[in-house]
Amino acid sequence: MIKTANRVLLGLAGLVLVAVGGAVLATGLGLDVPSWWPWDGTDDVLLSKADRTRWRDEGWWWPTVIAVLAVLVVLALWWFLAQLRRGRLAEVLVDSGDGEGALLRGRALEDALGDEAGALDGVSGAKVALTGRRTAPRARVRMLMEPHASPGLALRGLSEGALTHARTSAGLDELPAEVRMKAVKHRAERVN
Amino acid sequence: MTEPQDPENSTRRLPTVGPATSGGVLATDRSASGSTYEAAPAPEQPGGRAGRFWSGRRIPAALVALVVLGAAGILLYDIAAVRADHPAMQWRRSVADDLASRHLDDVWVLAGSALAAALGLWLLLLALTPGLRALLPMRRRHTGVRAGLDRTAAGLVLRDRAVEVAGVQSVRVKMSRRRATVRALSHFRELDEVRADLDSVLSTAVGELDLARPPGLSVHVRRPAKKG
Repeated sequence: MIKTANRVLLGLAGLVLVAVGGAVLATGLGLDVPSWWPWDGTDDVLLSKADRTRWRDEGWWWPTVIAVLAVLVVLALWWFLAQLRRGRLAEVLVDSGDGEGALLRGRALEDALGDEAGALDGVSGAKVALTGRRTAPRARVRMLMEPHASPGLALRGLSEGALTHARTSAGLDELPAEVRMKAVKHRAERVN
Repeated sequence: MTEPQDPENSTRRLPTVGPATSGGVLATDRSASGSTYEAAPAPEQPGGRAGRFWSGRRIPAALVALVVLGAAGILLYDIAAVRADHPAMQWRRSVADDLASRHLDDVWVLAGSALAAALGLWLLLLALTPGLRALLPMRRRHTGVRAGLDRTAAGLVLRDRAVEVAGVQSVRVKMSRRRATVRALSHFRELDEVRADLDSVLSTAVGELDLARPPGLSVHVRRPAKKG
């Protein structure tokens, strides 16, 4: 959700900047501009005193300006704070089958998954974070590969081992996972 | 040094491909062998299509949010202060004066608008492109599991496999999103043989990477430069 919001808002900000900057640039460079263009020609100014004070005496002007700015401040604050939230899951709802659910600490499931993934052949360490909703969690896995490991095999080990175990032990129908693999930096050497 | 050596050829220079003149010490050093393979077609994907990873664009979003927050916040504060019969801040008067006095062909106006347009294009690019170019999507063998392999890691795997080929002294791998370029230095065995071995070892290794779009392979083998 936040990913889409980020891209839409970044795109909007970009569009506004391109439109205003481009329009001023086109006028300033003396290009022919249509009659509805906000600026008339190179002799025009960005914002004349008459334009700036046009609605100053109207009763609605200052409240509107203040309201728009206040909304902008609140939105920008929300947008900024949303970047800092990691959306990590505190607990997972386990369906015990008798109509009563049980709560599993998210950290416990993360640690179990991470330990099992880190113990895989060719994997030197793994970090797991659970995101999503507590009835439908998602896993984010970072794996660090040892030298001479095969990424394909390590991924298969993770999917068929650790992820399947975590899914069945938490009684989940599915546990979608996003896996990112990196490698330990090392020098080239022969293995005999 | 305990590098494996072919007992037969250990004392004489090997025949090499290319226009090598006999007798010259440097001539054999210039010889090289290379091959290029186009990327194999994308294999079947039982777990669904493997698309690119899309970046969350958190850092640019946070920066833009902070800029908007700061600008709107200061302006709001000053307008409210003026409403409450305090004098306006100095910067607001000078900005208003500048906006009303500088003509559009003023160099500062031109520079500012060009900068704004360029920044806007950059933000649009950030908004529309996936990013995360260093993360190569892997084949989706299991439903619900999306995996990506770091490009450097893929290069390291190829390098580790390549140095195990007999006759290879050192290897440099340049991994782009579509192609792996492998440059090996070979200090013994025929270059063509070394290259053929490298070709087969590396194409197996590319398969082991399990990427959704297996990269093309370009292999070059050379003799190391003579040390003075």
